Amino acid sequence: MDSSSILDSLGVEIIGVMAPVSICMFLVVLLTYSLSVTSDPQIRTAANLIYIENPSDSATVKLEGSLLNAIVFVVLVAAVTFILVLLFYYNFTNFLKHYMRFSAFFVLGTMGGAIFLSIIQHFSIPVDSVTCFILLFNFTILGTLSVFAGGIPIVVRQCYMVVMGIVVAAWFTKLPEWTTWFILVALALYDLVAVLAPGGPLKLLVELASSRDEELPAMVYEARPTVSSGNQGRNRGSSLRALVGGAAGGVSDSGSVELQAVRNHDANQLGRGNSHNLDYNAVEVRDIDNVDGHGNEDRDVVERSPVVAISSEHSTAVGTRGNIEDRDTVMDEEMSPLVELMGWGDNREEPRGLEESDNVVDISNRGIKLGLGDFIFYSVLVGRAAMYDLMTVYACYLAIISGLGCTLILLAVYNRALPALPISIMLGVVFYFLTRLLMEPFVVGMTTNLMMF
Amino acid sequence: MTVAAGIGYALVALGPSLSLFVSVISRKPFLILTVLSSTLLWLVSLIILSGLWRPFLPLKANVWWPYALLVVTSVCFQEGLRFLFWKVYKRLEDVLDSFADRISRPRLFLTDKLQIALAGGLGHGVAHAVFFCLSLLTPAFGPATFYVERCSKVPFFLISAIIALAFVTIHTFSMVIAFEGYAKGNRVDQVIVPVIHLAAGMLTLVNFASEGCVIGVPLLYLVASLTLVHCGKMVWQRLLETRNQSSASR
Repeated sequence: MDSSSILDSLGVEIIGVMAPVSICMFLVVLLTYSLSVTSDPQIRTAANLIYIENPSDSATVKLEGSLLNAIVFVVLVAAVTFILVLLFYYNFTNFLKHYMRFSAFFVLGTMGGAIFLSIIQHFSIPVDSVTCFILLFNFTILGTLSVFAGGIPIVVRQCYMVVMGIVVAAWFTKLPEWTTWFILVALALYDLVAVLAPGGPLKLLVELASSRDEELPAMVYEARPTVSSGNQGRNRGSSLRALVGGAAGGVSDSGSVELQAVRNHDANQLGRGNSHNLDYNAVEVRDIDNVDGHGNEDRDVVERSPVVAISSEHSTAVGTRGNIEDRDTVMDEEMSPLVELMGWGDNREEPRGLEESDNVVDISNRGIKLGLGDFIFYSVLVGRAAMYDLMTVYACYLAIISGLGCTLILLAVYNRALPALPISIMLGVVFYFLTRLLMEPFVVGMTTNLMMF
Repeated sequence: MTVAAGIGYALVALGPSLSLFVSVISRKPFLILTVLSSTLLWLVSLIILSGLWRPFLPLKANVWWPYALLVVTSVCFQEGLRFLFWKVYKRLEDVLDSFADRISRPRLFLTDKLQIALAGGLGHGVAHAVFFCLSLLTPAFGPATFYVERCSKVPFFLISAIIALAFVTIHTFSMVIAFEGYAKGNRVDQVIVPVIHLAAGMLTLVNFASEGCVIGVPLLYLVASLTLVHCGKMVWQRLLETRNQSSASR
């Protein structure tokens, strides 16, 4: 075929987000299966503050206790997020960045280290403690560096985001069962309120960040589709938006906001804080998104749209086991249970040379950002489903992926920060219980008689 | 029996679909999305069916006609859903074509449509394999194995993996036949797909008899290879047609 079909590149951004989510969930399921650590009810964490679940309690006691646990957890998370908003409002950005580096170090070092140690124990891998310590230390330092420093390849940062998601999710799966479900549902509701309601902390963060044209210090996974130079790069990034817009009956083309390019701030704002997580992809971009074929000169610049990068803090209190019982180490992590399109609204800052008619050189990155909190809670749901059966794992996986797909489509339609948790978690919970109660007797009854359709 | 055996059983059921996925589907992200959505559709249909049949379960193990009824109703329901899937796909095709026009790219080629149909079928097949075979394989990773008395020559895991492989083939390629049949209005193709599905389902009922799987499984593979051959012939004819058309129009 001399001309390539549209099918070649449609949907690249969605797959760019779904692939790491799938990998994270798959590895968490593997970890859950291979380590199969039973949830130790003696640990008191922030998720267990009020009620420690005991398998022998009656259903109502468990219900009330788990509900209280979930409410307390959500209140804690909301409180910490408000603190984050305050800190950001008073321009403590550097403090936040250093704090996030510290938390990355802590997560990878201690929690990740504990998981490594249990893997080594479980599989009897012959490695001595000095080597193990050195390897772990290197691994942790690289992860800390990759969080905010520039000059690290994007692949490394993406891998470390996924690894951190796996580590935290593996720890969360140690929570008892009822508490886990209630916390997931409560967090989904909280996410919905915090991002969309007018007083919500995450919405405030978004508005602060976009009004200041600054990027929030946040742990987000950025999916960067590869934008190749030349004609092929033309329509790739915008295809999702234009497709959804067209399907929705015509988006206003003139002055419409499409999936856009991110401006790299560093070059222009020398005074600002330097670290942010944008790589330089110098790309020669002709008129991207020249959907209507206007060919205006000033439309050679990709239209931007207000960016939204969110971070919220979820405080995870994890008690260390072993000889230090009941010590609470409160660990905050900025995770953003949000998903948004990248793009900075900065028509005010005219980039040099961008108004030239052709041979536009722009430093552009395009893609979707998904917060680390989303990775973690999706994986927690799937990990908890893995403790029951593989059928529920698959059903929950499909539910979460389809919820994520719906959220991404809504993102393309509404073009603002959206909570990524509610739809997926609700679908996941519904599918889990439906599969467990309805499908299991049906399918198992048939297959053990070797009857299939 | 061990991890190796467990992985072996999983690959028996899903090996060809994995290679199909890696070679054809993973190249185009849209096809991956199609696989995921058709898997979801199959899962939803299975949940609805199990919801409908839940009050009647568990069925008695020695009477065969409730199972026959189960299979017939399930197959009819799923074929109805396949038609619905086709309708949705038609609308999607229109959206994609208008999108292609807007960005002045060529419309969907025949190979694109065939690939989308293949991806849809693969989604159904993979869902079948996972829910009917893989989900029961967890004990196979342990130290022992399991035999069913109805089919006592072969471990249960192996025979269910073999049956799943046949069904994966049937599902994958009958979707291509069905889509082409609906697109062209070809009655033969439209009817043959539900017939194949029903026949395959009914053939598994043969397993109900003692040692029935010795007859049932080879017949099932006969049906699967029939599907393959028919699909291959149909696709070849269509490709030749299109090539003759395009060379005639130049």
